[in-house]
Amino acid sequence: MNFLLEGIRNGLDLILNKDVLFILKTSLLVSISATIISVLIGIPSGSILTIKNFPFKKIVVALINTGMGLPPVVVGLVVTLFLTRNGPFGFLNWLYTPRAMILAQVIIATPIITGLTYASLQDINPELYRQIAAMGATTFQTILVLSREAKLSILAAIIAGFGSIISEVGAVMIVGGNIKGQTRVLTTAIVFETNKGNFDIAIVLGVILFVMSFIVNLALTYIQLNRVKQIRI
Amino acid sequence: MIEIKNLLLDFNGHFKLSIDNLIIPKGEIFAVIGPNGAGKTTLLNTIALFEKPEKGIINVFGENILNLRDRISFRRKCSYVFPQPHLLNETVYYNILLPLKFRGVRAKGNPERVLDFFRIKHLKYKNASMLSNGERHRVALARAFVTDPELILFDEPFSGLDSLCKESIINDIKKTVQLCKTTIIFVTQDYNEVLALADEVAIMMDGVILQRGKPEEILTRPVSKKIADFVGIKTIVETEIVKKENNLCYVKTGGKTIEVVSDYNCGDRVYLCIRPEDVIISRYEEKNSARNHLQGKISYIERLVDRYQMSIDCGFELIAFITKNSFEELNLKIGEDVFVSFKATAIHLIKK
Repeated sequence: MNFLLEGIRNGLDLILNKDVLFILKTSLLVSISATIISVLIGIPSGSILTIKNFPFKKIVVALINTGMGLPPVVVGLVVTLFLTRNGPFGFLNWLYTPRAMILAQVIIATPIITGLTYASLQDINPELYRQIAAMGATTFQTILVLSREAKLSILAAIIAGFGSIISEVGAVMIVGGNIKGQTRVLTTAIVFETNKGNFDIAIVLGVILFVMSFIVNLALTYIQLNRVKQIRI
Repeated sequence: MIEIKNLLLDFNGHFKLSIDNLIIPKGEIFAVIGPNGAGKTTLLNTIALFEKPEKGIINVFGENILNLRDRISFRRKCSYVFPQPHLLNETVYYNILLPLKFRGVRAKGNPERVLDFFRIKHLKYKNASMLSNGERHRVALARAFVTDPELILFDEPFSGLDSLCKESIINDIKKTVQLCKTTIIFVTQDYNEVLALADEVAIMMDGVILQRGKPEEILTRPVSKKIADFVGIKTIVETEIVKKENNLCYVKTGGKTIEVVSDYNCGDRVYLCIRPEDVIISRYEEKNSARNHLQGKISYIERLVDRYQMSIDCGFELIAFITKNSFEELNLKIGEDVFVSFKATAIHLIKK
């Protein structure tokens, strides 16, 4: 038990450590960038899936649903194969950089946000789509209006997408390489320090990851609940 | 002017919409009435370019809209009001401004004016989800008029409203239309709405327009038994014209001779149609201007919302309406003898 308390005590001294702050900054930068890109792809894709009919739509929806459960290590492996020096996108020199980590996380979060956006828009009365189209809306305007209408559910989709990548370790470890001062993020650092037996640092990093995730989700949930009418039962 | 020619829409043999020729003058309120599944909404959806017909032409203000590549531009000249108001979970003002926002910053329109017309100014900043059903309908109508559209499509816009609310909204629409000069096509199942609002009406059944004309004309002069049934003619008896003098025809049914003003000839097989409102019931035989006086026995009485409906056996089954007050004054009971009278001009004959 003592090693746990000592770990926490030592860990608190480390919070303001330069390296830890860098890890924190990189984690936030990578996961928030990946979430923003996934939102920009996922919400329009989910909306278009809802309002447009096209051949093989069911297959596309099934693929997206499958993508919602993609194993991060497999994503990491595939991204590495594509970005490795001899791979098709090797010329980009992205491997072992935060860009590769963002790319991998986008691949993980986009199907989640797309799938949940599609599911949330299914709850809207289909006649509303027709009403919006009858008012002379373009596809883009329809997506904007529908997203606004389903904002609470879409916010939940964003929370789920962010949650899936901030806590993910497999993909960022493979494509980022856990390079100190470059691609080390909270999850990879926890694995690394635990393997080394530095439980104190690992605990602190774990607490920071939890608190950071909590703060971001609290902010999103606050916005979400603020817009829900409180119903008294 | 809106002109529909040789329009055919086939839903894999399950249902067919077929309109040979329909012209709706500009600025007119044109009603399409018919039972469920008649094809009324399909017609509106086709005009709004939500359905693609197999063939035909729909000219709207001089342009065949079925050839248009840019459906959005056409829709921006129209408004479509659905049976349910379909408002967004935002303020009333946001909902009303939405069609203008879609049209861009240069869109003409006067949201304040429609808020005034439909008497919802006080609800401007209220969330649409907090409104009553009547208020939601008013907002949907205001939203339809805000862009000053050339054409408005109404699909049973008063469904689920009580009669008072409906009447008040119809009056607001009438006032607004007088100022806007918009062409309106509206579909309904309620003939009272047609009488209150429409300049002209078409009866649609099984995807085909069976008759069009002034609302009062169709009510009293249907061209087929099916339409007569639909417009509320309760007594329809198959018979034959046995004698004709000038334009006065004599038909025999149930052993009684009935005089009818009609252009048909002696020997023609016809349906004799009598509206229940046109039958006068009395305890004793009275002399009045009506040409037809019959005696019969009351076979059943049914209480309706504001009146009574009764069936009188006078050799044939004659259905009549009687007001609540008259019913109580006459103290009528099943099995009692009564006298009925109706005018020769009130009866309509449909050739079989």
